[in-house]
Amino acid sequence: MLKGLFYIFLFLALGELIRYLTDIPLPGNVIGMALIFIALRSGILTLKMVKVASHALTRNLALFFVPAGVGIILYSELLIAHWVLILIAAVVSTVLVLLVTGLVHGKNEPDE
Amino acid sequence: MNKLFENPVFSITLTLAVFYLARRLYNRHRWFFFQPVLITIITIIVVLLLLDVPYETYKIGADYISFFLGPSVVSLGVLLYEKSALIKKHYKPILIAILAGSITGLISVVAICLIMQAPHEILVSLAPKSVSTPIAIEISTLTGGIPSLTTAVVIMVGIFGAALGVNILRLFGIKSPMATGLALGAACHGIGTSKALEISPLAGVASALAMCINGIITAILTPWVLSLIQWL
Repeated sequence: MLKGLFYIFLFLALGELIRYLTDIPLPGNVIGMALIFIALRSGILTLKMVKVASHALTRNLALFFVPAGVGIILYSELLIAHWVLILIAAVVSTVLVLLVTGLVHGKNEPDE
Repeated sequence: MNKLFENPVFSITLTLAVFYLARRLYNRHRWFFFQPVLITIITIIVVLLLLDVPYETYKIGADYISFFLGPSVVSLGVLLYEKSALIKKHYKPILIAILAGSITGLISVVAICLIMQAPHEILVSLAPKSVSTPIAIEISTLTGGIPSLTTAVVIMVGIFGAALGVNILRLFGIKSPMATGLALGAACHGIGTSKALEISPLAGVASALAMCINGIITAILTPWVLSLIQWL
């Protein structure tokens, strides 16, 4: 677990470093995700080294979004001022994305 | 109370306790409205308002929890590796579905704003609503939107999709973990991915992949679509 956490943080740090040094418009953690994937594919890391720690983190991903969700109260004025528009645009567009993505995939490939 | 919550322990304990109870409630009843994230966020907002604790104070402790988003996103790369053989085998339908979802997300939100005659800054702020917060903020800032409005809408889209997405997909006969994951990731970024991970690791990986690719596609397309409507 400790070793796994070390590798995960190492790749996070590498991602943040690349983000700091270049103008890639991607967050450091996303770059870190790509890097750890490449490291596993190329055999620099083995799955055994990082599996337990990474599963422990991803299993609880929803919890880590809670503070950002609570942060919506900061923008309550802005949201209330435009609530009809925001509600319709966000809900309709989100439902469309869900259905188009799901149906396009369903049409192209009967699942495993 | 404000003074007490300046000690991070209280925000952290409150968040963990509410989330733990919300998850137990959901596991027991499985009713869609009992989504742990949704219930936890609403409960904490109510508690903070009742105790008169400002968000800035809650955030002192809550930041320790959000901090784990970074390593969790990196961990998604490990999951991606575990499922890479399957992804590779089906890469074409996966990419087509994500591309279709990205374009739909951007065009539909812009079209709705135009039809409803939304002020330009609102339209621009809503355009990147389906991508994860850091990328959305980047796009919004770059195109002249209001980053704080973008943040709020992105989070709300995520919560909405996590709460109702699976039910909406089922209603239209979309049940496979792969299709469900792709849809949740393309429409509702990280929060959708957290929901997809609850369904199965494969759905989670599909969602993470859709979230990343959608982020990149939207970052490229948004300035382009916005200059197109300016020109029209």
